[in-house]
Amino acid sequence: MMTRIGKLMVLICVFVLVGALTAPAAEDPIKIGIVSPVSGNYGDHGKLERMGMKAALEEFGSKVLGRPVELVVADSETNPDVAARRARRLIEVDGCKYLMGAVSSSVAAAISAVATENKVLYFATNGNSDTLNASKANTYMFHVAPSMAMLVRGGADYVAKNIGKKWFYITHDYSWGHSGTAWARASAKKLGVTEVGEIKVPLGTRDFSSQLLQARQSGADVLVVTMAGFDNVALLKQLAEYRIYDKMKVWYTLMEFVDMWPLKPEQRQAYANVEVYWNENDKTRAFAEMLQKNNPDTPCPMPLDNGTYEGWLAMKILLTGIQKAGTDDVDSVIKTIEGLEIKDNMRKYPTRVRAWDHQVITQIDLIKANPKATGPAMWDVIDEVDAATVARTKAENPINVSISK
Amino acid sequence: MSLFINLFVNGVILGLLYATIALGFSLVLGVSGVLNFAHGVLFALGAYGYWVLKDFMGFWPAMAGATLIVGVIGVVVERLLVRRVYGEDPLFGLVITMGFAMAIEQVLHMIFGAAAKTVNPPAFAQGVLFLGDMMVPYYRLFVALCCVVVLTGTWLVLNNTAFGAIVRAGMYDSEMVSALGHDLPLLRTAVFALGAMAAAFSGVLASSIWSIKPGMGGAFLMPSFLVVLIGGLGSIRGTVLGGLIVGLTTSLLSLVIPRFVDIMPYVIMAVVVYFWPRGLLGKQNILE
Repeated sequence: MMTRIGKLMVLICVFVLVGALTAPAAEDPIKIGIVSPVSGNYGDHGKLERMGMKAALEEFGSKVLGRPVELVVADSETNPDVAARRARRLIEVDGCKYLMGAVSSSVAAAISAVATENKVLYFATNGNSDTLNASKANTYMFHVAPSMAMLVRGGADYVAKNIGKKWFYITHDYSWGHSGTAWARASAKKLGVTEVGEIKVPLGTRDFSSQLLQARQSGADVLVVTMAGFDNVALLKQLAEYRIYDKMKVWYTLMEFVDMWPLKPEQRQAYANVEVYWNENDKTRAFAEMLQKNNPDTPCPMPLDNGTYEGWLAMKILLTGIQKAGTDDVDSVIKTIEGLEIKDNMRKYPTRVRAWDHQVITQIDLIKANPKATGPAMWDVIDEVDAATVARTKAENPINVSISK
Repeated sequence: MSLFINLFVNGVILGLLYATIALGFSLVLGVSGVLNFAHGVLFALGAYGYWVLKDFMGFWPAMAGATLIVGVIGVVVERLLVRRVYGEDPLFGLVITMGFAMAIEQVLHMIFGAAAKTVNPPAFAQGVLFLGDMMVPYYRLFVALCCVVVLTGTWLVLNNTAFGAIVRAGMYDSEMVSALGHDLPLLRTAVFALGAMAAAFSGVLASSIWSIKPGMGGAFLMPSFLVVLIGGLGSIRGTVLGGLIVGLTTSLLSLVIPRFVDIMPYVIMAVVVYFWPRGLLGKQNILE
């Protein structure tokens, strides 16, 4: 026979148990799938973009709308098929509503196709091909890195007026490389520049001796290069080996700090367009120092490279969008991000997200490598250009992927 | 015309280097019947070994040290892994060596990081030789000379020594070599170690031209395979010929159709294998 006290105790226990079982669970995390190269031609670039993403997430205290944010990383292997498969897995198995990453444009296009099909929001962080905000643009993808149109037009005027008017092109033979050379050609026409030749180089080329022998004898005064990754490290080394700088100036339509850093100072002599330079101003310097302190295994010192910056910016835009939308509903977040402006971006010009083509617009720098610089301050900034002045206009790119159209 | 000659010379140098890279691959395949897909990573290990040692010693000791260390690694790999697949379908050898290569590539990644490293040629081989319009960096001439020495040396050893005679016999009929009382397992270990050393030696030479990265061997694995298939299995002369064909094709075609330079060796390989299934200078071998 149970006493009243006993019954009360049992009742209290039952209440406690039921309460424990029905208490609101801790908020589910918001999962962001990162499809980014851990291996392959762009492995080190992938590492940098992930460092940038993590830094932005930490600025938000790893939370948004009071919910923890979890990053799930998958290796794209710089391979569109692999990346598409892994993106699908991140959506279907890991339950990611947002995807981010990709260094190469062809990989970004593959991930974008999977994201659109599943109505998942995708940020193409570091592919620079124009197709990402033209023929392959869609409502569920934002293109964070500047397109090649912006990069090339950000430097072509200066190069034609101050460096030389006879151009020879070396082009990485895939969509991104082609767009670099195509925009340089388009600018060249307007600027009275003569083209004296072009060599297309297959992805994965390590020896450029025959191409450089031809460039040397072409009579060009500017070698216009669109090339990236480990191939580019080998090319940069061979530009010095074949004394190209004695014959002509070299202008890169896009350069990564991490590609040029491994060279000896005297081998660094090119001009280049870059998306950011760590030594641009006090804010970028402080950010680069913080990154270096927090990432002892960084691929290069002062690791605020193009990839790092675009990774940081993509995460900042996404988290700001979710916060402002007050929900993690993908369509509402897209609506909020369209037209968003971010002023605290460490740069001279603000970041703007265009609604009609989903292109993120910030700033282009033209740099000249300094062969006397022994430390990581190996570049001098020659020009800072507002990317809005060189981005494609609606007339040049008549599309509209806005969710509100 | 001077450009053509310059590209031709350049193609010969590249060809000699490709032949040297493929030499170890060819020897191991010929004697042991193993498709050694760890060949590329042994090439990378040679480059990294040199990169580490060059800060402690001069060019020559660092080169010798890296080559010997990788030779020892080759002995260990052969004893622990490759030995298990002798006599099996070549696919087993391919899978086991590929697995080893992937693991080691990740280890290199963890130790040295993903970013590329560059090394300058040794002081005595810096600078460029100019002949009118033509130019050849001294280091590339030095590379060609080293390759000629290694290829000729290997050819002389195989054709003029007792060890070479056993190796060549092993390429035709390993069972008979064993039946005649020769230590076949030891022979295969020695050949694998030599192959690893040749890969490492090429890695040291290539490091000053193409820079160093964990996955650098991958770019030269398939060309090595092509060189062996075109030139013919079990023939040093065939390996040199295959290397020169790939090198000259790569260099000269960049003048005409640069976009197809990396596809053309495959086309040549397909044509050669169609008409000469053993390769241009191949002989009967243990794979048949």
